[in-house]
Amino acid sequence: MGMTGELRTFSFADIFQIILSNRKSGLFVIEWEDINTVSYVKDGEIIFTRPIDKIHKVYTEKEFDSVIEKLRIPKQHLYKTVERFLLSRLDRRDGRFSLVDRLITYDSDYPVAYSIETLTMMSARLLEPEEVARKISEDMLIFELSSDYKQIAEKAKLNPQEAKVLSLIDGERTVFDIRKDAKLETLTVDRSLYGFLALGMIRRKKKERKQKPNVSLELLVKIIKRVKEV
Amino acid sequence: MKTIKKIKIVIAGPFSAGKTQFINTVSEIKTVKTERKTRAEGEKAVKEHTTVAMDFGKIRIDDEHELYLFGTPGQSRFDFMWEILGEGALGIIVLVDSTDPSTFHEATRIINYFQSRYSVPMVVGANKQDLPNAWSPRDVATALNISESENIPVVPVSAIDKEMVKETLIRLLELIRDELVS
Repeated sequence: MGMTGELRTFSFADIFQIILSNRKSGLFVIEWEDINTVSYVKDGEIIFTRPIDKIHKVYTEKEFDSVIEKLRIPKQHLYKTVERFLLSRLDRRDGRFSLVDRLITYDSDYPVAYSIETLTMMSARLLEPEEVARKISEDMLIFELSSDYKQIAEKAKLNPQEAKVLSLIDGERTVFDIRKDAKLETLTVDRSLYGFLALGMIRRKKKERKQKPNVSLELLVKIIKRVKEV
Repeated sequence: MKTIKKIKIVIAGPFSAGKTQFINTVSEIKTVKTERKTRAEGEKAVKEHTTVAMDFGKIRIDDEHELYLFGTPGQSRFDFMWEILGEGALGIIVLVDSTDPSTFHEATRIINYFQSRYSVPMVVGANKQDLPNAWSPRDVATALNISESENIPVVPVSAIDKEMVKETLIRLLELIRDELVS
């Protein structure tokens, strides 16, 4: 980790995708127009969120248990802070975010009420049409299922509409076909596809190549040699 | 007089990803540019001139062959050039400004476009790795939804560094070679 960006151009679904992919521990900081919040990420799960006046203060913290002890928050109530300071803001676009590696020690296990997979789908459901079009940009795109899509879908807690969209992904149907066959609103289908992509449940299927590259092996070897010499 | 056979590689990418610089760094001729002054407010703040049709550079291979590098315009209003330049290309390099996640979606759109139409080998160059705040190639790959099965390498590059530009080109050429022998 060690990334910054704007929520206006890089959505929560995109950020959660990075957190999920890295499965690291660190901090997810957002400078909103009204407040600053910091979410504590442990092994790719957001376990606690709180508002903070001065962001630099958070970088001096060493032990997570002493942080929540000081704030007098019992472990079983940590999820309420995620609800209050993160989930309630998933529809906002006014923040600037940072994902920061942070060596804060976690001494025990902490309950995770909202898995990163669940958060990703929750945020995908709130995407605007122009945001969805950033990744579901081609009617002709074909998606195929990843080998572990079932396990991920379980963690993501799909709703019936999303489950229906998922059932239509077969490595043959285009995005156009899925929209038509799902008989749902286009935005609902596209949000679902966006979320599945972010979760790694589906992936782009490359169009099969019918012909070999129009160049001989001998010439290609020569080109490689020539480029090395440039 | 012998006819020179042209071998085409396309350099695509969002606005200000470094495509013109990439071609300039490795081309043996002065890059042929079709630049105009930027007009859009957001673009003017980034750079004064931008490519409007294509950039073009080349490397002479032998007496009969030349490697042509065509750079596409970055703005989506010039999408129609992707089709023109993509036709007959041996491979595609998609450059991404690793320091600017706001452009990653445009890069995704470009990859989606080519992946759903032209099944040619593709390499993503995570450019501007020399700058602070550059996202790692691995994180860029995640943001662009590139899965391992797609066989699209995401390589670190700085378009001002000749060796890195050459390595990116060679990576693409090796992919093409693998397709030939498979």
